[in-house]
Amino acid sequence: MVAILYNIMDVWDTHLLTLRTFEHLYMFSIALFIATIIGISLGIFIYSRPGLANPVLNILNIVETIPDIALLVLLLPFFGLGAGPTIVASILYSILPIARNTYTGLKDVDHEYIYIAEGIGLSPKEILYRVRIPMSLPLIAGGVRIALVFTMGVVTLGGLIAAGGLGTALQTGIYLYEIDTILVAGIWTGILAVILDGFAGIAEKKITARFGSW
Amino acid sequence: MVTLDVIAAATVEHLVLVYTTLFLSIAIAIPLAFASLYSERLAFVIMRFANLAQAVPSFAVVAIVVPLIGIGFTPAVIAIMLRALLPIVKNTYIGLSSIDPQLIDYAKGIGLTDWQINRHIRLPNAYPPMFAGIKFAAILANSIAVLTAIIGSGGLGELVFEGLISFSTERLLAGALPAIGLALFLDMSFTALEKRLTSGQPR
Amino acid sequence: MKTTQTQRLFDRIESIRLANVTKKYDDRFAVDDLNLEIKGGELLILIGQSGSGKTTTLRMINRLIELDEGHITINGQDIMGFDPVKLRRNIGYVIQNIGLFPHMDIHDNIGLVPKLEGWSEGEISGRVEHLLDFVALPHETFINRYPRQLSGGQQQRVGLARALAMDPPLLLMDEPFGALDPLLRRQLQDEFVRIKHEIGRTIVFVTHDIDEAFKLGDRIGIMDGGKLVQVGTPEELILAPENELVASIVDADKKFKHMDTLRVKDMLSHLDDKYIFESGMGVDQALDRMAVNNVEIGIVCDGSGLAGQVEMADLLRSRDEGKTLEDIAESSIVFSPHDSVAMALGELKDRGRSVAIVMENERPFGLFFSDEVLLKLI
Repeated sequence: MVAILYNIMDVWDTHLLTLRTFEHLYMFSIALFIATIIGISLGIFIYSRPGLANPVLNILNIVETIPDIALLVLLLPFFGLGAGPTIVASILYSILPIARNTYTGLKDVDHEYIYIAEGIGLSPKEILYRVRIPMSLPLIAGGVRIALVFTMGVVTLGGLIAAGGLGTALQTGIYLYEIDTILVAGIWTGILAVILDGFAGIAEKKITARFGSW
Repeated sequence: MVTLDVIAAATVEHLVLVYTTLFLSIAIAIPLAFASLYSERLAFVIMRFANLAQAVPSFAVVAIVVPLIGIGFTPAVIAIMLRALLPIVKNTYIGLSSIDPQLIDYAKGIGLTDWQINRHIRLPNAYPPMFAGIKFAAILANSIAVLTAIIGSGGLGELVFEGLISFSTERLLAGALPAIGLALFLDMSFTALEKRLTSGQPR
Repeated sequence: MKTTQTQRLFDRIESIRLANVTKKYDDRFAVDDLNLEIKGGELLILIGQSGSGKTTTLRMINRLIELDEGHITINGQDIMGFDPVKLRRNIGYVIQNIGLFPHMDIHDNIGLVPKLEGWSEGEISGRVEHLLDFVALPHETFINRYPRQLSGGQQQRVGLARALAMDPPLLLMDEPFGALDPLLRRQLQDEFVRIKHEIGRTIVFVTHDIDEAFKLGDRIGIMDGGKLVQVGTPEELILAPENELVASIVDADKKFKHMDTLRVKDMLSHLDDKYIFESGMGVDQALDRMAVNNVEIGIVCDGSGLAGQVEMADLLRSRDEGKTLEDIAESSIVFSPHDSVAMALGELKDRGRSVAIVMENERPFGLFFSDEVLLKLI
């Protein structure tokens, strides 16, 4: 037992896993933050121009099918190696779930609320900001949670193109066939992802309880 | 210089990997989904596990397979299945279980056996979510199959990793572009298949 | 966000005139060449079957539906000349399903339009508190609750308070009590009759319930197939119905002609178990039960029989004081099923009450509402 713990600490120190975790979370936070802003804005934009909604969502759907490594490779010529293409690829994947959920949420607000909002004299803009957007927050939160999972996945791959993060340790472990390294880094990456997803799940529930209809 | 032969061989390898995984996943997923109908505990475990596994990055899954089963084609198949199996089970189970209980009662009332109910009522009801799950799994498998080259599965990913090591844009693209092409092909073919098989089905 | 102070389009309503108003959906007339004058300060009821055009007519007044032909004028000004948003902020609006916003608490729901109008937080709170008390919801208890924490009747009251937020001179109400259970509906109607006089506004009110129409309306307009068949006071409609349809609508419930032979049991309202409360029950527990069952009045019983009655408003005043229903129950007027209706009505009138409990074998058996009985006897 003690020996195992000692092994884990040894791998942790040798592969700078504290630093890698910070790098990982750094890329993750930036990517998710930007994707959320772009995704929500795009969702609102295509809601206000319904003719654009399907074309935009179809294009994003195509991006979604591209294998993540292939997308990283396509971005290399433009952004070089490292964190840049990793963050950009994460954002490209994450825009769709956020934009789509935002759009669906805005569009599908129960008509009764829109109707009464008009009836008591809210302008279209006020209905958007006071009624549609707040009532869409549960769905938007769900989209961000999906994006969070995508982002974790792509950021981990960033290790393969010298972006740092936990993927770096995984890559080293596989190339050098170091079983201990693979296990420690792999399990830690999995745990980190599950924990963040868990927190997102709690946040989503809270938002649904606060803003959801009943 | 990457010859067309090399690309073609890699593409075939890639396709074999994707379709093997997909076929095995479907073969395991559908019985598992039916079994979940009869065991609430199994259903609970599967849904829980499906949601958890979805959150774990593919790279971590692929890596952890190495200490457990080693490298090569079979470990790659297992790594991909770890991610691709559960969406199919989950969607199929949702489709099978989300049927109006009154309809089941009615079917029993007119004398259908359990097997007939499953075959003629539950399964057709599950087609739309099931095919959505299979399509999702196919695209996921295609994506992870590029990655599994790092644990020796061969295929298009191998060209990509060679390109990364040798800084060869040509090799990178020789791997990446066909992989993207396959992704689009899978998306379109499964969408078409989905339409044909579920036409006339309620959504 | 930019807030612009909407000017008041009218301080009071002199008259609303609908002239040759027509609304078509495809080839079907929803409203067909309708002419109607609504007088300032009156409560005008529009009644008819679903599809008769009553709701469409109501919605054309605040331009939720735009008319195809004809004119609607308020105080002589054509409503098409107003900005629809400004027009609606000058008109209170209440609908059957209430539509309180689930993501806002009661304060924000009622204060929404004042806030958009740029009122200060202090002004808004003052107004909201005043309105909540006005609709018999103590503001200390309710102001920070969310709609889902309110019973149906309480939500309906908040809906009315919201409609009154900007102190509009005109109120449009579309079957506001339609979704409530019969006893609660009656109670809210009673309350509404009271506040109708206090608010002194012009009200256009849509319903399909003729009892409600007779109880609340100064004048009643009967609609059928998109046309206004007849408009007049209840007496005019009963005494001089324009046609068979009007006669059948206003006549429907008047089967009882010989009051002397009627007994209380012929005229009582069924008493559901959910109205019966044990006298030992705590006030807070009783409130929870009322909320769950969506009732606002309770008949209190103890081991030996009837102990009195309680109303939700009284309970709310005594919450968190550790009292039981026994402590606050008011004595009830009690009749036997075999008492004569004439006697019962006389006694209620003498004592200034409108409801009595009918007891049989020491157990509550039904309720007797004077106004409802009178309506049936007209």
